[in-house]
Amino acid sequence: MGLASASTATDGMQLCIFDLRRGQNEGQELDKILFFFPADLPFSTQLSVIGLSEGLITFTRIFSPEAACEIIEAERHSHVFYEAETDIWMVMADFPVGKKLQLPSFRDCLKERGTVQMLTMGREAAIEVQSLVSVLDSCAGNSSCYSMILFHDLLVSTTLSPDDTINLFTYAVLRLSPNALSSGVNSWSYIRRGSTSSHFVSGSALTHSGPVSEQIYHSSDTSPVGNNINRVTRALQHGKWYKGKDGFLVTDIWGVDVGSLVCATPTVWLQQTEEAMYLCPYQFKSLTLILLIPVSSILNGEQGVALVKQQLLENASLKILKVEEKLSKGWGGENAYHVSGYRYLLVDGDRNISRASPPGKVTTLAKESLLALSKLRDEVDLEKSRAKRDNAGCEKDLEVSIRAKNNAWAIARITGGKELYMVLEKASETLLYASDAVEKFSNRYCNGAFSLD
Amino acid sequence: MSGKASSSSQPSIGLSGSGALSHIYIQYPPLRCSIPESRGLHYDDGTKLLIPSTSNQIFSWKTVPFNPLATSTSDSIPEGPILSIRFSLDTKLIAIQRSSSEIQFWIRETSEAFSHRCRSDSENILGFFWTDCPLCDFVVVKNSGLDLFAYDSVAKSLDLVEMRKLNVCWYVYTHESRLVLLASGMQCRTFTGFQLSSAGIVRLPKFDMAMAKPEANSKPVLAAEDVYIVTVYGRIYCLQVDRVAMLLHSYRFYRDAVVQQGSLPIYSRKIAVSVVDNVLLVHQIDAKVVILYDIFADSRAPISAPLPLQSRGFPRSYSSSSRSSGKDGECSEVNNKIDHEGIIYGDNWTFIVPDLICDVSNNFLWKIHLDLEAIAASSSETPSVLEFLQRRKLEAIKAKQLCLGIARTVILERRPVSMVSKAIDVLVSSYSLSLKTGSYFKGIKTESTSSGVAKTSVARSSTDVSTSRIDGTSIRHESTAGVDSEYPSRASTFSASESEENASSAPLRTDSRDLQLGGGKVDRVNLTGAHSSGPTDNPVFVNISEQQDSELTSPAISPDEMYKFVFAAVEEEMVGDPSYLVSIIVEFLCSTNMEKIKVHPNLYVLAIQLLARNERYAELESFVTNKILEPSKEVALQLLESGRQNIQTRKLGLEMLRQLSLHHDYVSLLVQDGRYNEALRYARKYQVTTVRPALFLQAACSSNNSQHLAAVLRFFSDFIPDFRTTSDFTTYYGILNEMNTSVAATSF
Repeated sequence: MGLASASTATDGMQLCIFDLRRGQNEGQELDKILFFFPADLPFSTQLSVIGLSEGLITFTRIFSPEAACEIIEAERHSHVFYEAETDIWMVMADFPVGKKLQLPSFRDCLKERGTVQMLTMGREAAIEVQSLVSVLDSCAGNSSCYSMILFHDLLVSTTLSPDDTINLFTYAVLRLSPNALSSGVNSWSYIRRGSTSSHFVSGSALTHSGPVSEQIYHSSDTSPVGNNINRVTRALQHGKWYKGKDGFLVTDIWGVDVGSLVCATPTVWLQQTEEAMYLCPYQFKSLTLILLIPVSSILNGEQGVALVKQQLLENASLKILKVEEKLSKGWGGENAYHVSGYRYLLVDGDRNISRASPPGKVTTLAKESLLALSKLRDEVDLEKSRAKRDNAGCEKDLEVSIRAKNNAWAIARITGGKELYMVLEKASETLLYASDAVEKFSNRYCNGAFSLD
Repeated sequence: MSGKASSSSQPSIGLSGSGALSHIYIQYPPLRCSIPESRGLHYDDGTKLLIPSTSNQIFSWKTVPFNPLATSTSDSIPEGPILSIRFSLDTKLIAIQRSSSEIQFWIRETSEAFSHRCRSDSENILGFFWTDCPLCDFVVVKNSGLDLFAYDSVAKSLDLVEMRKLNVCWYVYTHESRLVLLASGMQCRTFTGFQLSSAGIVRLPKFDMAMAKPEANSKPVLAAEDVYIVTVYGRIYCLQVDRVAMLLHSYRFYRDAVVQQGSLPIYSRKIAVSVVDNVLLVHQIDAKVVILYDIFADSRAPISAPLPLQSRGFPRSYSSSSRSSGKDGECSEVNNKIDHEGIIYGDNWTFIVPDLICDVSNNFLWKIHLDLEAIAASSSETPSVLEFLQRRKLEAIKAKQLCLGIARTVILERRPVSMVSKAIDVLVSSYSLSLKTGSYFKGIKTESTSSGVAKTSVARSSTDVSTSRIDGTSIRHESTAGVDSEYPSRASTFSASESEENASSAPLRTDSRDLQLGGGKVDRVNLTGAHSSGPTDNPVFVNISEQQDSELTSPAISPDEMYKFVFAAVEEEMVGDPSYLVSIIVEFLCSTNMEKIKVHPNLYVLAIQLLARNERYAELESFVTNKILEPSKEVALQLLESGRQNIQTRKLGLEMLRQLSLHHDYVSLLVQDGRYNEALRYARKYQVTTVRPALFLQAACSSNNSQHLAAVLRFFSDFIPDFRTTSDFTTYYGILNEMNTSVAATSF
């Protein structure tokens, strides 16, 4: 929710991610910008926003070296800070032009990890997928690979840990999925992509460097190896991935391998196993497979990776075809998970999975409904944090219903670690009616998980 | 010689082979039919009797079931030359060819005789046979054509029913196929065929056999001993030796066509053909080796390399020095009589289709056996070995054991998943087919009716099963060796192509299946006992007595057996990363899902255990939510068990109990988790009264919250009538009062 709300915000709002360790030398300031929204802002403005944030961080650290500032509310602006990883900061800056934004806790938005959207499939397809997964995971011989499979922008399968899954899933949806690759086509993904491609192309991205590259998620404790300090990998750049003839996606973000003059295969760092992995995405129609090969298992660099890729094609092509066919057959289109009459968000906090009404449908909600929903979420967040404080182990069941000005119902039900948020604009009559509608939804789409009695 | 190849290939399958240097063998002792003053030895394939004769007496030995200790029955007959002998199918009459123009009939019951002679002197009797064709009982093949007779048991004479005029050089006939092939022409390579089935007489289109010319102007002549009719998987083939091309041509017979099916190379001037359990054996007599073919699919590739025929059980084997010499003494008598070095493929061997060898000089009859273990061990192509084994039914138990062993081995050896997957596919589709054809249950049924139950009732039910199958697939097949007529397991792809074939060119077999049924019937009745009289209306599968009572008829492996004898067994032995076994289980589920076969929940339980052991909880979750592991109480309980280490997994188990409406277990577990409020709500909604109130009260009590305890007490007072009179109520009411007073005391 956080990001989605942020990107639709007004002109006054900016979101930036920057790395404090980078760009400390004159002339290299741009290096520190990892992400900036809106991207079309001039660099000078971007740098000044970051500069101000940097200053505030440095200043507040004097008083609290361990935990720097969280929120600064000033008359003309407000800043929300979140240190995602050591020295990597996410800052949301709000310079209200007119009215101040009313959104639930900004900081929680920044802290909140994304969720994964899963594809629902039948048993037969699931078995086929699983069969494919075992081929993928074993295609580098003895060392076990990891894999993730997406269909359109939905997760089909993963063998990664939940944390790594979210990270890679988010990256895949933003940069690797067919939707992400075909720029210009508007993604229906829950996480909106920036519509303009990034302006902060680093001049050094294409310059030489060894095959050693940085990881996306791990802002390595060791500073970038190699003698070129200018070398900065900007993994989040738009439009840098493209599909090769063999179906594998390639990018030059990670530079070019000196020996073979091919694009270096990106590497990522898995938090769970603390292992560096080669990232090999493969795409067939709407199916995206991401194969992660342990770097340690490949002795001869790019050549070795190419060999594994070739093996994957040999062993898995037929299964990939089959899986794509099965999934396409059962695919209900981008409005597959729309339930008419309902606007919902279903979150499984334990599994970090969510499902929601398609964006196209959510945008039909009236402003009053959205305000009620925002209020509802405030309440729920408050209640949740209170419950967490009271007793950490136990899960709390909760039901909140709010009547909006337009007579819509905004309802939240939380039970057993699962959350259901819902807006019913047409259930105007009574609370009983609204509650009944939730019950129906729960029985029909959630195996009765939210049916209270 | 081939010992090396054999021993090196065995470990690759990992079976403890029988140490055989061959794939087929004959087992000592043979059936000995030596009689004093023997003048000749005959074999009647209609009744499957081996018949040695003297000038005025004939002896007959049953050869099916093959029993070396079988005793003979003897008949005294009028003295005279005996050219050939055939018993009527009900064995009441004996037809004896006395000369090229006379056949004498001997009625056994009354010891009467009558004769049949050719009408003109120019006619020569080439042969004769009894038939179960409704039109006639007896067929005489002459150089001028076929004479079909009906036997008049009252007048004790033959009545001519029909004559088919044509020039015949020689003929071949097997009772098994009911097919008579008449050779004509200069080269004797033009054939006219008739099938005298119980459905009537089918005349096959005339056809020529292929013969290569050695040189421009010479024309080789085809001889009767170069043509074999064989029945394999219920299909009728004709095999023809072409000595010039050194090929064995094969032809398949359809009702309206004879189709050449390709040729097999031969490596000997002299060859012989046998069929054992639907495996075609081509004996290369000069080379003293045999090549095995399984012509089930289109493949003409031999099953394995040429190897000699082995004789087993001899005190001193001709080839194996390692054989234990412990039994030497036993058969010294035989030793003296027979030179073992020369016995195999000796000149005095006559091959009797399908699976017998007659040693005419010693009056020995040998039965040929397949060494399934050796065949399985000689190939590393696991899926095709399994296919081969699954098609065997003569030794169904052995084939099944071998299949299970192979399946275990490939998993334990961690062969590539794709290969194991193919192997599993073979087993699963074979089981699926055996379900469709009923042979799997038939096997089970036979087992359970091992004794005491009237044979016919069993047979009837089997017939029903098989009839419905025939309608479905138009395929049927008769076992040559008399185990039973079930179709062996076959891959579904094959049966698909088979039915296509049927549709396009209507195989002879299909249309004349009554023939096959009837054929089996008569065979069996005659075999199972001379006492049975009315051959025509006995059910088809009276042959149960022929099998060992508890014998399986199909080597098909059910999913339960797969679990028990493969997965569970392998899991115990397997070391290291269990994810390989998980992959294999997924492949198995893939196969069973394709064939719509239900899997035993224990397999799911095993999968959960393996995933949990690997701490792959996230994947376990997707297995469960996607229903790869189908919900069941067993699965739910295992999730709860594995959930001790992982709360999410436990939740899945609870959720599954709820969705399966296992209310009692669900409520008990909620209480156990201390969620007694939720449990009460649920208990009220679903009227779960089986969970003891004491459990709830205990849980509420341990929360140390008097309000909760009061609420629970109140709930049960309302929910269960007379609750107030129970000891539970009294106990906890007392505790509640204590709690309240202590609260009151502390607050003051």
